[in-house]
Amino acid sequence: MPHPIFRLLPLAALFLAFTACRPDPVIPPTIPPPPPPPDTTAATGVLRLTVLPEWEGQSLQTFTEYQNFMNYRTTVELLKMYFGDVRAIAGGDTAMVKDVDLFDLGTGTVVKHWTIEEGVWAKLRAGLGVPAGLNYEDPAEYGPGHPLSVSNGTHWSWSSGYRYVMFEGRYDPDPSSTAQLITAYSIHPGMEPSYIEFELLPAQGITITAGDTTDVTVRVAVDRFFHSVDHQIDLATENTAHGMNVPLQLKLVENIAASFSTE
Amino acid sequence: MQELDGPFPLQLPTGFPYPQSPDDNPMTNASVRLGKALFFDQRLSRDGTISCASCHHPEQAFSDVTALSTGVEGGQGMRNSPTLANVAYHSSFFRDGGVPTLEQQAIAPVHDPVEMDHDIHAAAAQLRDEEPFRRLSMLAYGKPLDGWVLTRALASYQRTLISGWSRWDRWTQGDATAMTESEQRGWQLFNSEALNCTACHGGFDLSDHGFHNVGQYLDYSDPGRERISLDAADLGKFKTPTLRNIALTAPYMHDGSMATLEEVIAHFASGGVAHPNRSPEMRTFELSTEQRIDLIAFLHALTDERSIDQVP
Repeated sequence: MPHPIFRLLPLAALFLAFTACRPDPVIPPTIPPPPPPPDTTAATGVLRLTVLPEWEGQSLQTFTEYQNFMNYRTTVELLKMYFGDVRAIAGGDTAMVKDVDLFDLGTGTVVKHWTIEEGVWAKLRAGLGVPAGLNYEDPAEYGPGHPLSVSNGTHWSWSSGYRYVMFEGRYDPDPSSTAQLITAYSIHPGMEPSYIEFELLPAQGITITAGDTTDVTVRVAVDRFFHSVDHQIDLATENTAHGMNVPLQLKLVENIAASFSTE
Repeated sequence: MQELDGPFPLQLPTGFPYPQSPDDNPMTNASVRLGKALFFDQRLSRDGTISCASCHHPEQAFSDVTALSTGVEGGQGMRNSPTLANVAYHSSFFRDGGVPTLEQQAIAPVHDPVEMDHDIHAAAAQLRDEEPFRRLSMLAYGKPLDGWVLTRALASYQRTLISGWSRWDRWTQGDATAMTESEQRGWQLFNSEALNCTACHGGFDLSDHGFHNVGQYLDYSDPGRERISLDAADLGKFKTPTLRNIALTAPYMHDGSMATLEEVIAHFASGGVAHPNRSPEMRTFELSTEQRIDLIAFLHALTDERSIDQVP
């Protein structure tokens, strides 16, 4: 005879499903059709995208000790990620916004100014990583300051591709320890199998007026990188991925995509 | 005096095809000289201690004498530095073939934290206003030295490192006195069905430039080609090295784990260990003491009789 509490589990799960903070949806990894070329005659405005890295609702502080969902003592020491093939979507309309951009969230809040076609857009759709068409370009073509410059430290020179995400820090499974954190984790998704798409869905949509600036804020719940509805990452056994170990890379990128909430 | 902005008069051994260069990087006197100056300049490393030549010694046919090369502050690479001879004919680079062009290959050692730990743009900026870099960069590429120029010039120079002037080459071209009788017997063994060396070490570069698991380990700590393809069937596969100048390029194998040609021959004679990905071309064979001597003598006959560096 099961304990009575187990009979309540399905109800509890339903309650959580309908009341918990709902992240933006994760889109299965597909190769999207190429968007139409930008209409150079169209009026444009500026989308000011502010990306806020957070840990449990507070601004993320790198090298600061937190406890992750498994009560592991955890720091985040490096966090970079690419958004690629960013498009604005409204019904059947699509406008190209940005081919690729790099977010160094380890340095704090990142603000990007993207030129975008005038209109009322429902959402942004993007890839978490560098699109295949750009991933194997010669990086020497890009000088310092460009998102794909080798000076960003994101290029894998041994494979000619980019690390889509660089997520590094230290951990200790013993929550009561006061010893200095030594053991490192380093998860670097890259290569096509780790490229997934996600959507940013501001509740009010994105209204772009020619010549004006429109704000969109994305909160990135870095604490959720370790756990989502679908995946948990136990740093004690899942702490390294550099191109290989695709299952861990996919866990991380899907957790990241699920960690975004948009205002 | 060659015109610096003219094409580089690359000398090729008999039967060698002219190597292809990308459209944006023709081999000119200026580009190869610039590449050579960069190749030997230690300022390509973060602390100014390591040049390309630190791990690719000209006297070792541009390979290294240690199993794993040492980078800045004692950093150690993960694989043995291969010879650069005839890289002009390769279609992929590094032991796992992860990089498609010599131009892109040049980025890796400069940026690798255990090699030079620097930045192509920063290194170029350091050298930009100095001679001969300033003048050669303008002549070769029409602009000051930058990261793009740096990678082009290094690739251009490396394309000139042609190996094909060994006694074996002379012998195959009809000079019957070029190899000793022992070396000729060694060649016959090498070329025999029993040893099957030419299954992978054939052609003018004595390499198919393909990727093979030769049964070196049952458990590879280095995934080899699998790291690029993400295909488990490629675990433990590494690019076939050229055998040209093999007597100069010890230690051997992808990890430099074999110090002598005797060890290498013993490994191949054993057929290697039974790794699931082991090449079907691997087969066991037995050699008498005299045959081993002959085979090694032949391998020594693959050493170039002149420098493979033809850039003044």
